[in-house]
Amino acid sequence: MMQLGFSFIFPFLLIMALLQGGAGLFGTLCGWRPTLIFVLIAAFIVIIPVGGLPLARWMISFNANFSISLTAILFCKVLENSFGVKLLDKNAFLTCWVFSLIAGVILYPMALGLGRFDPYQAGWGFSWLFVVMCGVTILLLIMKNRFAVVLIAGILAHNLHLLESTNLWDYLVDPFMVLISCIALGSRFLRKLGSRP
Amino acid sequence: MNRRLVIILSLATLLLYAWPMLGWFSTLGREPATFATYAPSTPVVDDKPFMVEEFINADPEKGMVHAGSICQLPDGRLMAAWYGGTREGAKDVAIFLSVKGPGHLARWSKPKRVVDRISASRELYRYIKKVGNPVIFAGSGDQLWLVYVTISAGGWSGSSLNAKVSSDAGATWNNSRRLTLSPFFNISELVRNKPLPLNSGGFALPIYHECLGYFPEILWIQSGREGGAIAFRKSRMTGGQSFIQPSIVAYGPSLATAFYRCRSDEKAVGVAVTKDAGVSWSEPQTLDLPNPDSAVDGILLTDHSILLAFNDSVQNRENLRLAVSNDGGANWVRIATLDSTQGQKYSYPYLIRSQDGLIHLVYTWHRKRIKHVVFNEAWINAQMKRIAK
Repeated sequence: MMQLGFSFIFPFLLIMALLQGGAGLFGTLCGWRPTLIFVLIAAFIVIIPVGGLPLARWMISFNANFSISLTAILFCKVLENSFGVKLLDKNAFLTCWVFSLIAGVILYPMALGLGRFDPYQAGWGFSWLFVVMCGVTILLLIMKNRFAVVLIAGILAHNLHLLESTNLWDYLVDPFMVLISCIALGSRFLRKLGSRP
Repeated sequence: MNRRLVIILSLATLLLYAWPMLGWFSTLGREPATFATYAPSTPVVDDKPFMVEEFINADPEKGMVHAGSICQLPDGRLMAAWYGGTREGAKDVAIFLSVKGPGHLARWSKPKRVVDRISASRELYRYIKKVGNPVIFAGSGDQLWLVYVTISAGGWSGSSLNAKVSSDAGATWNNSRRLTLSPFFNISELVRNKPLPLNSGGFALPIYHECLGYFPEILWIQSGREGGAIAFRKSRMTGGQSFIQPSIVAYGPSLATAFYRCRSDEKAVGVAVTKDAGVSWSEPQTLDLPNPDSAVDGILLTDHSILLAFNDSVQNRENLRLAVSNDGGANWVRIATLDSTQGQKYSYPYLIRSQDGLIHLVYTWHRKRIKHVVFNEAWINAQMKRIAK
């Protein structure tokens, strides 16, 4: 039941972000009142039945496991748009992009058949992946990098089985997250290149 | 973040990672997964050559059927599953079940629709475009498993696997459960061949991936106590783009041979061996048996020779033959042609042995019917003698 309820969170946040983005074209809409209106509209949209299924479940039909990292990034953006609160700073975002890109490069080519080794197997039960992720999280905490909190949310969600998947990888990264990371790091690289004298 | 918060969050991290670690440590004392090999006994029906052919479903005026599988229920009855509809991948395709017996003189029951895209969509609570490839197998007691494919978008490479469990030998079924087996939108995972029962009570179910890579895998699956939550993981047999649809024949608790459908230009049945109960597999080799990119299935005989059902061609599925190997798959003797007609298709063989020692083979016949062939080892031996003459 908790898993079913959680499956509505990502579509809800995505619609919130889209509404905020659309409203932002007509001026900044920060504060309780516009946020409450957006919450109600987004909640209504995700539960609208289309062809017998709530709109949120249509999104889940094509990708059931939006990672906790992507959900957390989206939540931070929605919160920032709503109240101007920045849960993650620039450093945390940069860490997130780099982490997701590295995870994607390690995971996807091999999981899709490159070679005999499948790193995705390590996401079930307990394995080197858990040890590495525990170490990475504590290291980021020591470095006072707020992305560590996102990783903690990831293992917490895994233990609570909030996603359909039982594999830790799916809580850490997803194809959209890797794509967004590529775009973010690519644009950052181009900006730096353009700013050179 | 102040120092106190860092310490608290670090402790929380350790505790959160300790939770799955504790689960892992608690399973260390258990025996590693080993194959519960069905020790074939001397047939008890009779020792005279015996072979019967029949059809499970009536000839449909329109449409197709495909991908039959069969298992034996605890009371001795046989149950077969397959998918059928107006055409492969059509929205009206459904998974059907039929029951026979006990006894080989009984008739197959009228096919009963057990899953279609509407029911799968309802149970999985998502859009399902089409269903396919069911594999049915019996667990402990009256437990029955149905693992099947659903597609929400695209063709077969958009497939995901789902499991459905019955606790009363198929009278009623639990809701389907989606199995997340791939990090890439959980697509391109399919099932075709029969599972191997494990001593732990679970199953090693051969599955395969077909998207950018085409390769065989094993789904290790087990239900919780009293039919509770399903636990699963998968492992890879080999990578690459050449071999799919593994058929695994176990010789002992840790020894097994896998036969593969071959997608490459070699056009020969692939083979690999494990000596550690499926943890690792040898590099695939090809046999001296042709394979027109079609499924094969094997089974162990009482003398530890292997019986293989396959399409004996590099071009098409116009025949279905049986071959026997006495040396672990190195050399094969073709013992019988079950069907052969130019321009027709005979495909997707699926072999099991029932408790009475009879061997049951189901396969797709002309894409119109699921054929059931029953024979005993005396019939196989008679064929061998006939060939030797």
